[in-house]
Amino acid sequence: MTGFPTKDFVALVPVAILTVGAIALLLSEVFLVSGRRSYQAVLTVAFAAAAGLYAAWVPPAGAVFGRQGMSDNFSAFVTVIVCGGLALSALVGAGWLDARGAERGEFYALAMFGAAGMSLLGMASDFLVAFIAIETMSLATYALAAYMRRGRRPAEAAFKYLVLGAISSALFLYGAALLFGATGTTLFSDLSRGGGTALHLAGLGLVAAGVAFKVAAVPFHAWTPDVYEGAPTPVTAFMAAGVKTAAFAVLARIFLGAMGGGTEQATALGGIVAALAVLTMVFGNLLALPQRSVKRMLAYSSIAHAGYLLVGIVSAAAAGARDKALSGMLFYLAAYSATAIGAFAVVGAVERRGGRDDEPADTWDLDRFAGLARRRPALAFAMAVFLLSLAGVPPTAGFVAKLYLFQAAVGAQLYGLAIVGVLTSVLGAYYYLRVVVYMYMRPAEGAEPDGLSTTGLTLALGAAVAVVVVLGVLAEPVARLAQAASNILS
Amino acid sequence: MLLTITTFLPALGALALVLVPGTEARQHKAFAFVLSLITFFVSLGLWFGFDASPGAPEFQFEQFVPWISSLGIGYHVGLDGVALLLVMLTTALTPIVVLSTWNAVEDRVKEFMIALLVLETAMIGTFAALDLVLFYVFWELILIPMYLLIGVWGSQNRLYATVKFFIYTFAASVLMLLAILYVYFHDGGTFDYVEARQALQVSPDAARWLFLAFALAFAVKVPMFPLHTWLPDAHTEAPTAGSVILAGVLLKMGTFGFFRYAMPLFPEAALHFRTLIATLATVGIIYGALMSLVQTDMKRLVAYSSVSHLGFVMLGLMALSAEGLTGGVYQMLNHGVSTGALFLLVGMLYERRHTRLISEYGGLARQVPLIAAVFVIVTLSSVGLPGTNGFVGEFLILSGTWLSRLRHSAVFSTLAATGVILGAVYMLLLVERVFFGKLTNDHNRHLPDLTLREGFVLAPMIALIVVMGLVPQPFLAPAKPAVDRLVQRFQQVEVRLGQGPQVGTETTAFAARAALPGVPAMPAPLPAAPAHPEVH
Repeated sequence: MTGFPTKDFVALVPVAILTVGAIALLLSEVFLVSGRRSYQAVLTVAFAAAAGLYAAWVPPAGAVFGRQGMSDNFSAFVTVIVCGGLALSALVGAGWLDARGAERGEFYALAMFGAAGMSLLGMASDFLVAFIAIETMSLATYALAAYMRRGRRPAEAAFKYLVLGAISSALFLYGAALLFGATGTTLFSDLSRGGGTALHLAGLGLVAAGVAFKVAAVPFHAWTPDVYEGAPTPVTAFMAAGVKTAAFAVLARIFLGAMGGGTEQATALGGIVAALAVLTMVFGNLLALPQRSVKRMLAYSSIAHAGYLLVGIVSAAAAGARDKALSGMLFYLAAYSATAIGAFAVVGAVERRGGRDDEPADTWDLDRFAGLARRRPALAFAMAVFLLSLAGVPPTAGFVAKLYLFQAAVGAQLYGLAIVGVLTSVLGAYYYLRVVVYMYMRPAEGAEPDGLSTTGLTLALGAAVAVVVVLGVLAEPVARLAQAASNILS
Repeated sequence: MLLTITTFLPALGALALVLVPGTEARQHKAFAFVLSLITFFVSLGLWFGFDASPGAPEFQFEQFVPWISSLGIGYHVGLDGVALLLVMLTTALTPIVVLSTWNAVEDRVKEFMIALLVLETAMIGTFAALDLVLFYVFWELILIPMYLLIGVWGSQNRLYATVKFFIYTFAASVLMLLAILYVYFHDGGTFDYVEARQALQVSPDAARWLFLAFALAFAVKVPMFPLHTWLPDAHTEAPTAGSVILAGVLLKMGTFGFFRYAMPLFPEAALHFRTLIATLATVGIIYGALMSLVQTDMKRLVAYSSVSHLGFVMLGLMALSAEGLTGGVYQMLNHGVSTGALFLLVGMLYERRHTRLISEYGGLARQVPLIAAVFVIVTLSSVGLPGTNGFVGEFLILSGTWLSRLRHSAVFSTLAATGVILGAVYMLLLVERVFFGKLTNDHNRHLPDLTLREGFVLAPMIALIVVMGLVPQPFLAPAKPAVDRLVQRFQQVEVRLGQGPQVGTETTAFAARAALPGVPAMPAPLPAAPAHPEVH
């Protein structure tokens, strides 16, 4: 009976593909003869596609490694989003790095290691596995944030990210230890066992705080604007899509595990997450309002979107709305990932470049977008599509995603949360539209350079626009997949 | 199928325009014009194919295709008579608008035409939708092209106006989305309007909140006092084409929303808030008229007059008598035609003099006699002179309100009637100050009169004003079944509530007689509430 657990390892194939890809790229740097590195992005896309397609096509294996990992449709969906995000970010990154003379295999390798961690996190159903996955993902993203290391801002961003990320990991780990003390297990599925003690509640609170750091929920959001703004733009895109998706996946599993018993603690946890959701939606949107730096505005907007996603998590507590809430969350993550990567890609294309690696203060200023519709009509159009999707205006993916999530919230009778959600999204419309106003309705101040234009960028933007529009107009196939994936194993 | 073709033909045209090279401005105009004309001719098929007999199905040209079934959303479209009239208004106005911008828009013509065509699709879709989410999608889709039309091609203060327009309408609509979602969970899990209307089960309290959520979205669009403040800005800053579409069609989406969604879905709540809405409508009538009196900017004046006119429509709807409702529907069309024409005329003057200030004009009648003549005709229609379309609508609304069972109906209709008088005052003052009196400003000495193209723009409007004034029957007939159904629906509710009669008119026979003499060409008794339940 103690044969080699083939099935368990087969479930890890997507993670393995990404890891092998990362190693291959690292090695290729060693044997590189010419200075041409354009193959690296292509290779990254190929590995990401392989991992994503494997996850999408091969039926999930079920519980693996003694129920410490769950290979189900949910994890497959998460893996596909992560791999899609990786591929798009790599395409965006290629031109961006090349223009700065900074294209190296390490960049793609780190991104793939990070993606491997994210995919693993989507499967984790045990605190230890989750912690390993979180660390894999985080270490890679810390390094990526510091990739343009000579600049002042990237250095600050990376340092902040590292310190605060380490704190959040510590909180998570300590919470897991307390929960082990309270329940005698590290499995999510047994979380509701041994409820009622103060130890249990403290453990849940610490774990929730740790994950709240990762998803950038208010009041654990303070690192986000600085890190998002300081990190190289393709990295920011990757973080917004990948880290958010993976963190929400594990949050959903933990939350549902803790909800299992329907105890008082569960209700308390639900209340805490609901409060986080309200704070995140309100402050994320309010703080985005005054930003003049588009990149920083998008960082705050990613906080706001985390708030909407938290509404989905809370809705999942209601048994009747669980399927809808989880599938809505997955759909939202897919829509948001495509949209955010696209938006950051445009930001990366128009940003001003200073000497060396230091960005001038107005790198991402709104003025950089003035008159963009005349200079680069296609780029401006793509940005407008992304912004409308972020604002949740039909016929874009963002609208269907919001509809989906709020439908779940109304189904779970969380009317207050839903009302806060739609009203704060009006604030969102205001600051997103401001960028459109600059692009389409204001003339350029001076002679602005045209910005970046590469094949990779064009491909990535085209793909992102296509995803945003298709998810907005023909959402049915993806909605059905999300619904199939909402059946979480535990 | 025909309806779907009509809806998406303009959008397909916009897509084709994307592929045409950007520098050929004349081509873009011609293409957009021909396409909108084709759309109009296609929509004529709807007009002639519509069966307005009482036995005909409520929604015609129906089509249902599953869309996002896992969320309960379907592509379900169909027209009742009121929607048909508004679709026809849309398809008729669009080619006129395209023609009117021939020389006015020089910059980014291609994008302008694309925005206009997308806007047309969204407008037709809003009227055609029979699925709540589909309706919401089209409803919100309007915002994007309109936002661009005002923001890119508008005048001085356009950025403020367009952002205000977008945020105002967007903020008001999101709560409607939540209400739609709530309906989904209380009608057996569908967004389909026809099914939802049948199966909706909500408590009276919930119904009131839902009604308010819908009503807020619609009231902003109408716009009802005190939610109207976006309108003068948007109208004033928009290019002529934008103003015409805004006044002609977009505002009707609000009143249409009340007629189609807010009132039939939540009749009890509608009865509950009826007096409040009628009060706001009456305040809007008088306030809009008084504001018009003091405007110095022609476009702003016409914008405030819209607030006043739409107040009449809302009052007619809230009267909940067949006459009032019919008048409300008719007044929607009238306002689209006459205010649309007014904005076209103001736009023509603006093209000649590049100012909208009334004080810059004076004594133009000698220089531009044709424009002056047309302006006077349109003014008479706007103030509701017998023989023009405006009279039919206002008369039906006022008589319908007076005779209705709306509490204090006499007060409402009396106050509203003063609005008619004020309307005559500000419109005639405008005509006097612009076209008559002494010609003092030298810039006005050599203005060209109506060109042939402008003649083609205005001729259909004048024709509609006269025809709809003298022969209203063809335009009233399609609305009748829809109006009757709504009245019947309210009568059922009335029976259920058991608080005595609240809808319809006091005395059927009198209403029919009263409606007759004023409108000579109107045949047979107006849709007086059939078999009124005095007996229940």
